[in-house]
Parts: sequence; structure tokens; C-alpha cells
Amino acid sequence: MKNLNSVFAAYLIGWGAFFLFYVSIAKRTSDLRAEVDRLKSSLTRTK
Amino acid sequence: MGKRIVLGAVAILLVIAAAYASFYVAPEERTMGLVQRIFYFHVGSAWAGLLAFFVCFIGNLMYVWKREPKYDWLGVAGAEVGLVFTTVVLITGPIWAHPVWGIWWTWDARLTSTFVLWLLYVSYLLLRTLIEEPERRALHSALFGIFAFIDVPLVFGAIRWWRTQHPSPVIMGGPGSGLDPTMRKVLLFSGLAMCVLMAFLIAERYVLEKMRSEVDILQREAEAQ
Amino acid sequence: MSLLSNTAILLGKELRTEFRSRELLTTTAVFILIVLVLFSFAINPGTEEARQFAPGLLWLAILFAASLMFQSCFLREQTNDTLSSLRLAVSDPFAIFLAKLIANTLFLLMTELLMLPFFAIFYNIPLWSKLPALILVLFVGSLGISIAGTAISAISAQARMRELLLPLLLLPLLTPVLVVSSLVTGSLLDRDPIVQWKGIGFLAVFDLIFLTALWLFGEYLLEE
Repeated sequence: MKNLNSVFAAYLIGWGAFFLFYVSIAKRTSDLRAEVDRLKSSLTRTK
Repeated sequence: MGKRIVLGAVAILLVIAAAYASFYVAPEERTMGLVQRIFYFHVGSAWAGLLAFFVCFIGNLMYVWKREPKYDWLGVAGAEVGLVFTTVVLITGPIWAHPVWGIWWTWDARLTSTFVLWLLYVSYLLLRTLIEEPERRALHSALFGIFAFIDVPLVFGAIRWWRTQHPSPVIMGGPGSGLDPTMRKVLLFSGLAMCVLMAFLIAERYVLEKMRSEVDILQREAEAQ
Repeated sequence: MSLLSNTAILLGKELRTEFRSRELLTTTAVFILIVLVLFSFAINPGTEEARQFAPGLLWLAILFAASLMFQSCFLREQTNDTLSSLRLAVSDPFAIFLAKLIANTLFLLMTELLMLPFFAIFYNIPLWSKLPALILVLFVGSLGISIAGTAISAISAQARMRELLLPLLLLPLLTPVLVVSSLVTGSLLDRDPIVQWKGIGFLAVFDLIFLTALWLFGEYLLEE
């Protein structure tokens, strides 16, 4: 089982990268959603 | 919303199945042994990354033609997702190369071209951050994206034909050449799994960008009041 | 044909503006000279290895010089706000690009020819055996650099951080030109020089592809 560490590291880093990217999208989306709600409520209040 | 969850679930299942196949279905490579199993992940990501850049190119072309913001969103989504996949390619490449050749980085034609490709799309995303006005940003980045994608075959050609005076490492004289049939099937399956994952991530990123432009519109409304 | 006559008029204007002051040509030539001298400190010139590196260094210097030279190409129009009147004056906006890229190619080629003797002396490389082929390589390479550079400078002129942005966008795009032209130049300056026609052909294909892209998409770059 030579080089098991390398294979393990490669898959871990690869999947980790995809996962982190997905998390960053989800984070940015939820931030924006909060922003949309805030703006909408402030717009309706001023009307 | 529902469709995207299904797509995400399918992507995860396919990626797990591809990992299983590359460890238990594909035969062990004679000279490189276990470490060669990175190959399926590495090459699959490369295909998916290239396809994502192609999606970006289509978005760019359609934007220049139709001028609808949705194509701009597609362009960003494709570029960013493609960049993540090529980053994975550029990281897994050295991890694979080190135990086999004893060096982390070789200026091998494919790896080098991928690196240049990566730089081109980093520039594309940087350009987007440096133009304020939304319509000009969309148009100019779309045009740069078109030039960048046109450049891709030229980069690959130039590096492949003129940078290989040094004997490149023996393996991978070309995918498919002398590749074991089972290995090829696993590779194709792995590539497919990566492409589905890519499609899922592009869909997510697209929705994010769409929301961002909604926020822009709302903000302008709020300022107008 | 109105495209050609328009181009000729605009080119005349570009050349007159430059030759009145010669600012761009002198600055760029001095820049290449500085880079060549600095490179000679980074690697020891005159050695056998330097002979192998020299063509690459020459092209790198040209690339950097070009990315500085093209900065002013569209910026000048912007500061004087002449671009919109230019667009109204010509029937085909491609004429604007054509005039600018021909002017850029000429300026780049002139500085290169000016610097070539210094390059030969500093790096102890005899140029004369294959001079016509060398000039041909310089021409097709510089044409490619100018075509892509003119297009990109139209983009970068309207963005923030434009001085940094132009090389950032342009240099990765020009990788094929750098790879092929330095290799072709290298084999021309070898002990037994050969002309790599395949490489020159590749550079010509690069020029043609980008010229076509500019012809197809250039007008959108000039939109307000």
C-alpha cells in the first residue's frame, strides 16, 4: 500500500475544495437573501 | 429549487460511485501502483473544468449577442466553477507527480497549459471586479472571455508543439493510448460524475449571481427614495 | 473601399501625433534597454547558457515593453474625449482598430530594430547570418502582440487600476506568442541557425485568428 497518503491527500483536498466552494456559495446566497429582505422591508416602510 | 437539490444529490452519489470505481473496479497500474488512482479524479476534474470554461464562453457569446443579464450570470458562474476545477487539477497533479517522479512540479505540456488557462480566467474574474458600471462590466468581461477562450487551443498547441524538447514523463502519452479498457470506462464514468458536479455548482453559482443583481436593483430603488 | 481609406487617414493621424513628439518610441526603447541590461545582471551574459536564455529574455522584454506602450493607445482618446467623434467619422469602427494596431506594430517593430544591435552586443550574439528571417519573426510576433494588445487596451482603458490591468489581461493571452517566437528566434541565433517555418506559420495563424476576432467583436468594445 505504497503512497496511500498521497492518494488520500489528493482526494481529501479535491473534495475539500469543492465542498468549501459550495459552502462559500451558500454563505454568499444567504447573506444576499438577508440583504434582499432588509431592503424590501425598508422599501415598504417608506412607502 | 427542487430541481437543484435533486441535481446536487445525483452529483454527490455519482462522485462517490466514481471514487468507489476508481479504487475497486479499476485494475492496479503496474508501474505506479496505488497512486495512479488519482488519475481518474485528476483527469475528470480537468474535463469538467474545461467544459465549465466552455459554458462561460457560451454565456459570453450569448451576452454580446442578446444583451440579457442572465447570460452574464452564466459567464461568471462558468468561469468561477471552472477555476475551482482547474485549481483541483493543479493541486492533485503535483500530489500525483511527487511520489512517481520525485518532483512536485514538472513543466509538462498539459499541466503548464492548464496553469495558463487558470491564469486567464483569474484575470477574467479580476477584470469583473474592476469595472463599476454593470452593463459595461458584463460586455467587456464577455469580450475578454471570448478572447480568452479563443486563446485556449493556441496555448495548448504552442506549449505542446514547442515546449517538449525535454523528454516529457513517459506516462500519459495521450489518454486512451494503450489505456486498459476497464480503466478507460472508469475514467469516462469519473469524468461524467465530475461534469454533473460541475453542472450543479454552476446552477448554484448562477442563482447567487442572479440574486446579486436583484440586490443591486433594490439598492438603487432604496437610494432613489 | 471606405475601410481602407478610413484606416489610412486614421493611421496617418496616429503616426503624425507620435512622430511630432516621439515620446512613445523613445520611452519604450529606453525601457527595453534597461530591461536588457538588468537581465544581464540576473543571468551571466556571454556564457553558453546565456545564449540559450537570450532569445526568451528578448521576447520577455518586448512583451513587457508592449504592455506599457499600449497603455496610452485608447486612453489618449478618452482624455481628449475624441473616441465618440472618431466613431461617428468612420463608417466601419474596425478602421479605428486597424489604424491603431498597424501604428502599434510599427512603433513596436521600430523600437525592436533600434534595440537589436544592443542586444547582439550585450549578449554576444551574431545576428547577421539570418537577419531577414529574424525581422520576419519580429514582425509576425509583434503583429500578434499588437492585435491582442490593441483589443485589450480598449478594455482596460475603461476600468479601474488600468495600468496594472492591461499587462494582467494581456500577458497570459500572449503565452503562445512568447513560447513560439522565443523558440523560433532561439533557433535563428543558434551556432548553426535554422529557420523554423512551422513556428512562423503558427505565429501567422495566431495573428489571423485574433485579427478575425477583433474584426467580429471590435465594434462592441467601442460602445458607450
